[in-house]
Amino acid sequence: MKKLSIILFILSLGLKVHGQSISVKRDTTRRLGEVNVEAAIKRKIESDMKMAVSVDEFLASSDNISFIKRGAYAWEPLLNNMSTERSTITIDGMHIFGACTDKMDPITSYVETNNLSSIDIKSGQEGNMHGATVAGSIDLKRRSTPFGLQQKVGGAYQTGFEFNNKQAFNLGNLFYSTDNFVADGSVAFRKAGNYYDGNNKEVLHSQYNKLNASLGLAYKTSPLSAIRVDAIFDRAKDVGFPALPMDLWLSRAIITSASYKQLFEEGLVKVWDTKVYFNAVEHYMDDTTRPENLVHMDMPGWSTTYGLVSKINLKKDRYSSEVQLNAYDNLSIAEMRMYPQDRSKQTMFAYSWPWVTTRFASIAMNNSWEISDRSKVNLGGSLGWNYNYSKYVEFNWIFHPGAPQKKNRWLPGLHASYELNLNQFDISVGTGFGHRAPSVSEAYGYYIYNSFDRYDYIGNPDLKNEISYEVNASVGFKTEKLSISAKVNYFYIDNYIIGRILSLGSPMNYQSVGVKGYTSLKYGTLFNTAMSIDYKVLDNLHWKAVITYARGKDDEEGNLPFIRPLSYQTSLHYNYKRIGLRTSLNGDFTQTNYSPAYGEDQTSSYKIWNLSADYSFSLGKFKTVFQVGAENLLNEYYSTYADWGNIPRMGRNIFTSLKVNF
Amino acid sequence: MKVSILIKTIVFYVAITCVFLGSCTKGKTNYEAERGEVVEEGVEFKEVTDFVAAGYTISIEALNGVLYRGYNDIRVRIKNTQTNTPVEVSSVTFLPIQTAVSGEKRSCPNQYNFSYKSGDKYFSGYTVFTSESGAEGSWEINVNFTVGSQNFSVIKEVLVRQQTNKNLNMTMFTGKDDEQYVIALVSPQKPSVAENKLVAGIYKLNKPLDSSSKSIADQLQFSYSQVDRYTLKLDPRMPEPSMGNHSSPNNKDLIQEADGLYHGIVNYTMTGNWTLNFILLNPDGKVIRGTEVPKDFTPGVEGRKSELYLDILF
Repeated sequence: MKKLSIILFILSLGLKVHGQSISVKRDTTRRLGEVNVEAAIKRKIESDMKMAVSVDEFLASSDNISFIKRGAYAWEPLLNNMSTERSTITIDGMHIFGACTDKMDPITSYVETNNLSSIDIKSGQEGNMHGATVAGSIDLKRRSTPFGLQQKVGGAYQTGFEFNNKQAFNLGNLFYSTDNFVADGSVAFRKAGNYYDGNNKEVLHSQYNKLNASLGLAYKTSPLSAIRVDAIFDRAKDVGFPALPMDLWLSRAIITSASYKQLFEEGLVKVWDTKVYFNAVEHYMDDTTRPENLVHMDMPGWSTTYGLVSKINLKKDRYSSEVQLNAYDNLSIAEMRMYPQDRSKQTMFAYSWPWVTTRFASIAMNNSWEISDRSKVNLGGSLGWNYNYSKYVEFNWIFHPGAPQKKNRWLPGLHASYELNLNQFDISVGTGFGHRAPSVSEAYGYYIYNSFDRYDYIGNPDLKNEISYEVNASVGFKTEKLSISAKVNYFYIDNYIIGRILSLGSPMNYQSVGVKGYTSLKYGTLFNTAMSIDYKVLDNLHWKAVITYARGKDDEEGNLPFIRPLSYQTSLHYNYKRIGLRTSLNGDFTQTNYSPAYGEDQTSSYKIWNLSADYSFSLGKFKTVFQVGAENLLNEYYSTYADWGNIPRMGRNIFTSLKVNF
Repeated sequence: MKVSILIKTIVFYVAITCVFLGSCTKGKTNYEAERGEVVEEGVEFKEVTDFVAAGYTISIEALNGVLYRGYNDIRVRIKNTQTNTPVEVSSVTFLPIQTAVSGEKRSCPNQYNFSYKSGDKYFSGYTVFTSESGAEGSWEINVNFTVGSQNFSVIKEVLVRQQTNKNLNMTMFTGKDDEQYVIALVSPQKPSVAENKLVAGIYKLNKPLDSSSKSIADQLQFSYSQVDRYTLKLDPRMPEPSMGNHSSPNNKDLIQEADGLYHGIVNYTMTGNWTLNFILLNPDGKVIRGTEVPKDFTPGVEGRKSELYLDILF
């Protein structure tokens, strides 16, 4: 850690020295834009309803993302109804792994909206550029200001208050841009108390407190090349998890990277972008705020990752391609120490992650050919190598005697798709195949308490790779006023990894009812579909609706857990001069395909009505927007299919925010 | 321009400071060191005592140079006192004798005829001291050895101390067959959160022989014998109420192996207090002592122990 920061220090010195001299030329990011090889759809960080959203709220507005919620903070994003083990979540291609065995700190909790520019979501094997995946990839793109902006210094400040949980937030970001030097900085504070549910009852232990700061410095080393160093610091403190028997005392992450980008004006290779990165996450739980707990327990966790991403973009005529090399080394450690009632007695100690090292390297390629003006073929593949080493493998031997301490896995992935444009119709079909390695918890986890089904989970180092076969298709229809699209995908996953009750052993955590071991089902299947309509009723009146449905089954035709029931989201947006009015309705139908075997009970339907209004004005020379609105206007009492312990969601919440751009 | 670069740089240094400060708020547990603090492991044989007789020095060695209540591996070396070189000894017998306050003499489970380890030139055996030196009485050791055709006999008092390592605990009890038994843990001295090979010695007190004519040593050397072909059923649990009678998987009952000791497998899922609940079965499968313990997970309730158990801690 220290070595790297020294390197960064030296780099920053270098920047300071050179930052003032040398001149001219154009911004690299804009050039990248011209090269135009990034096919992904990027979304602006703002949801339909709210302009000041959290990363979680923003992701929630995507139709293939759903969430497992353990409280008001740090939601675990599910992509294509699959949990985070099955997707790769990265920040600018950097791999980061949470340090909490209970998944209380998904990667998305270590960034803030004001240091992100967009989130790039890819479904299924298309997402294997960043590493082996089944569900797809979520790449959080950091904000980076282009070189040589007309406005040298600028930024935005956003503040707001949400009444339900007394959340106050202040987000600020600042940039400085010259022809050869750019600096981006952001700071964000959020502090929230307990929220109240639809029955106006306080949900205890749902408070949070977060600080996030980021800094990026870029320096143009030549007209076609630039270096950039980035750092994000995130600290969450006193975060309540009402669905868990303990809260978070402190979690901190430092995410750093240094990258070099080279553009080429001629030849096949257009861009070469290389980055080395380091990040460290520490996560300390706290149960002293829960006097009802029988056992006092410490559960610290640490995760440290070093990595490299190198990418080139190629383009020639109608052919374009991306090649990406990923490599990282991660060490995950999690401890648990239980204190007997008589504190003078010997404590009880075990590792829930017994110092597990994961090394991963992959080379991935994505090619696309425009066969004609109307059609395009994409073909891609990746080959990954995954290595695990468990330092204290004797912990794993208790349940799996003789399991190997080291394990190598090869993870191939392939995908192909065909896109066709017929007048107003856009059609695409695709297929994919890919392996993924079990996660640290799935392979080496040791008595990890899951408060959803109340079982202690044991990993199995010998689990086979999960192998996914997928097909997907989409149809879109577009006129000037109307656009309709329908998407569907189907995954057949061999060796689907899931926790099954073990007849062995007995629980360690006093809340738990038994022991489950991660095992491979023969297979699991997942079907996702979404339909969306966008209609311009009038020039200033838009209507939007999305409906999604998913179904997941195991090898005995039973239901898989955490599959979102039929759900909908519809909104109306009206603009009049400087005033914008929005209203939306969203909800889930009754969960009919729930899975008692995996600890689920039926969740009833709910619908949430939201309303907001914003007003844009000028404050001196600053562009300013003020927004006021209400979520869950009818104060409905509800919890969703993925809320742990069926904790109720937030009741009526009136929110206000003010954003000043300068 | 200069100023804002300066500000940025300062902010950046602040971020770097965070990196330094961030190098872990709470320290990680030093797992190996921590276990060392709880369990003192004896690894080296050291001299407990020596006696000189007829020009020979008889040296008695045990782990750490201490004799403990419970199982002790013992080595006897006999040297020529003058030349300090090993002597050709054809046999060594070893007999601990406890003299109670009342004057009554007893022995304990013990290997009477020590076996010769030619490589390192010493005689090896074991003794299971059934009590500590003190109020209950004192221990002396009677060593007989033969050099050529000459027999020598020496006696010396030794100190038997309390065994602080609970992993080498022992228990004495009367079985349903009215026999007196001793079960003593032999290993592991220092268990881990892992699969551990569990070794114990099981001994029975023999009915006194009516042989008043014989010497005290001749009577006492047969006071205990190793029991053969028994089974020691094992159910390890954490007794702490908060642990709710927690147990571990993949344990194996102890059965006798060629060395006469009983070998099994115990898995400890975490450090702390554990109770080894036993049921002793004779070769016919009849219960000599021990009761089944509840298998339920009962948070908040102290785990019930078998009638026959040993507590360990690591």
